[in-house]
Amino acid sequence: MMQPSTTKDEKSAPANHPGASSAKSRLRVALVEDQPKVRESWVRLINSFPDFYCVCSCVSGEEAVRVIPQHQPNVILMDIFLPRMSGIECTARLKAILPQVQILILTAMDDQELVFLALEAGADGYLLKRTKPSELRAALLDVLSGGVPMTSQIARLVIDSFRQKAKTKDESSELSLREEQILELISQGYSNKMIADKLEVSIDTVCTHLRRVFAKLHVSSRTEAVVRYIASKTL
Amino acid sequence: MWKGVGVTLGYGAEADLMLWPETKSRVFLNTLWLFLRGGTVACLGIGVCIGSHAMALADGPEIGPQAPDTDYSPTNGLGSWIWAAKTYDRQTCQLWRAFDIPEQSVVTHARLVLTVDNEFTLYLDGRELGRGAEWRELFIYDVTHLLSPGVHTLAIKAYNSSFLAGMIFCLHVDFGDGTMLEVKSDSSWRIVPEGTKRWMTKKKAAKAWPQATAVAPLGGAPWWINPQNVNLIPMLQPIKVYFWQTGWFQISLLSLSGAVILISLKLVAQLALHRKEQWLLQRERARIAMDFHDDLGARMTGLVVRGEVVQSELPEDSETRRQIDGLCEEARGILSTMDEILWAVNPKRDSFRDFTSYICGYAQEFFKPTGIQCWFDLDPAASSAVLSLPLKRALLMAVKETLNNVVKHSRATEVVLQIKWQARKLVVAISDNGAGFDKTSLRPGRNGLANMAQRMSELGGTCCITSEPGKGCRTEFSIPLKDARRPAWHWMTRSDRPLQPGPAAATETSDDHIPQIHDAAKHY
Repeated sequence: MMQPSTTKDEKSAPANHPGASSAKSRLRVALVEDQPKVRESWVRLINSFPDFYCVCSCVSGEEAVRVIPQHQPNVILMDIFLPRMSGIECTARLKAILPQVQILILTAMDDQELVFLALEAGADGYLLKRTKPSELRAALLDVLSGGVPMTSQIARLVIDSFRQKAKTKDESSELSLREEQILELISQGYSNKMIADKLEVSIDTVCTHLRRVFAKLHVSSRTEAVVRYIASKTL
Repeated sequence: MWKGVGVTLGYGAEADLMLWPETKSRVFLNTLWLFLRGGTVACLGIGVCIGSHAMALADGPEIGPQAPDTDYSPTNGLGSWIWAAKTYDRQTCQLWRAFDIPEQSVVTHARLVLTVDNEFTLYLDGRELGRGAEWRELFIYDVTHLLSPGVHTLAIKAYNSSFLAGMIFCLHVDFGDGTMLEVKSDSSWRIVPEGTKRWMTKKKAAKAWPQATAVAPLGGAPWWINPQNVNLIPMLQPIKVYFWQTGWFQISLLSLSGAVILISLKLVAQLALHRKEQWLLQRERARIAMDFHDDLGARMTGLVVRGEVVQSELPEDSETRRQIDGLCEEARGILSTMDEILWAVNPKRDSFRDFTSYICGYAQEFFKPTGIQCWFDLDPAASSAVLSLPLKRALLMAVKETLNNVVKHSRATEVVLQIKWQARKLVVAISDNGAGFDKTSLRPGRNGLANMAQRMSELGGTCCITSEPGKGCRTEFSIPLKDARRPAWHWMTRSDRPLQPGPAAATETSDDHIPQIHDAAKHY
């Protein structure tokens, strides 16, 4: 089944990232999940990892916006479907308060359209809830080291999204030529390695471009994504 | 006798009119009026009128089978002044007369002359030929072309504004064999009581209709002078009745358009109903998707997560841990199957773009553990077209089957997945660079190829496999899609009708859909 593919060079996390260089300080994780049993299980799973611990778990988006900023987590795991305030809206709000925090969206259903809405709203990656614990840990480490969730599907959605905005908005939200080129290649099935070879650049450069794409995406569409999500819920 | 048809003895007439506009009701002036009329005509007549002579000859039934212009006079053949038995002011008198044109006779010339004191409307066979409101002038109609063999009806609606009233009339018909027919104003005319229906076209007089009364001979008092002017009416032609003017044509046209309108209304109603059904179906699909997700999906996910927790707290090499791991794997498998069903059922993921996106995502994940590089060749256009549920599902199944075959048999290193629109066809093609095969060497019934072809043909599409040993394999599915152009009234029905695959569309109803969701579950 589909797993988030990330662009991160897997050998090491960048040394400048907070907490990543210190073996002893565990990384702080916050969890937002409305089902009690699942929430409990996730907390236990996270705490079972040697390098992570759960600083707080919230039952709703409203609580998350209120409580999480005090705990200063490194990563937030966010359920996409929450009662009342959706995970997407909550993501957008938390990103506004804590721009440095990494947010991973948890979804029970593998639906790239929904995931893309979350990415637009400011999420840094996504995870299927049924992910194996080992993969969960890898994903947490990956997002903290600046990995970008990019599949051919998401690349296409990103291109579409920017093309639609180009009709209405100013240049600040436009993709550069190189960025668009990389996205096109990803959408045709190229891996980051192959893109680096084809364009004769390093993999890091490719990843940097992709991070910049996401930064632009977040700036230009955070609030719109929330509105579109709400609209998409009504048939 | 008058000469010079159409010459206006205008001066006298104008003088009369100046002196006598509508004053006849004043009886005491009547004699003076007649005197003046006679006087002016006598004094100012331009030599063409010799009054007394004319009067002397006026009565003579002298007209033979000729009509050279030299001897011709408009007063020739006129009958007596006739009217109803009683005369009174503001009286309408309906005069009726039928005549017969013999069979096999050819009318060479027919001239109708009349005037009425004071006004008339002349009808022949119910058709209005003209009107007149000047008793001092004669009105001459050429009715040659109106008289076919058979009985014809003359009808004159005459009106007397006041005092004296009368009508003089003559119809002179010349036939090709030299004979002639004359109809004059005389007591053979009938007076039709007011209120009688369709009297103008009646071929026979009713007994109740009294005969007309001759009130004075031509030239006799009180109309003892002759007409001053002659109004020659241009030759009358039979009314041409075009086929679209005929009653039967108009009636059939009317009923035809009525039928067309009724049928269209019925179709519109059916369409609206169909759209309503479609909309309900979509809503139902959305509801099923939501139930799956919110209930089953969430609970299964909960099971997996809890299973993982239990598993992680057991010793590494315990048998129970392995078993729980197996359970979790199974549950994950169920969840991913459910994802596929949900995708197929979810009406919000019906678009061509969603389809492309899903298939590509599937292929990418599918090939990831195999080491086969998957390339995508996609159509950037036509992204918002809608695929129906059966089509979506069938294509997904077919693509999955094909990808399976590639991994199992082809030994390929690269695969190209192509999704394109070509001339109203949706084309999905999977090509590999693997070993290929000889189609003739395939054992029938032992592969999924027949199955795929069957699925495609059910949707009106085709499945085409081309392969040669050592040259890879290309599997192409192509399905014609109908144009999803919205009709003008689409706002009436709210829902957007999905693009339907060819023949399957006709039989598709809401009943067909629900079981297919469960069918889908069996297939996965």
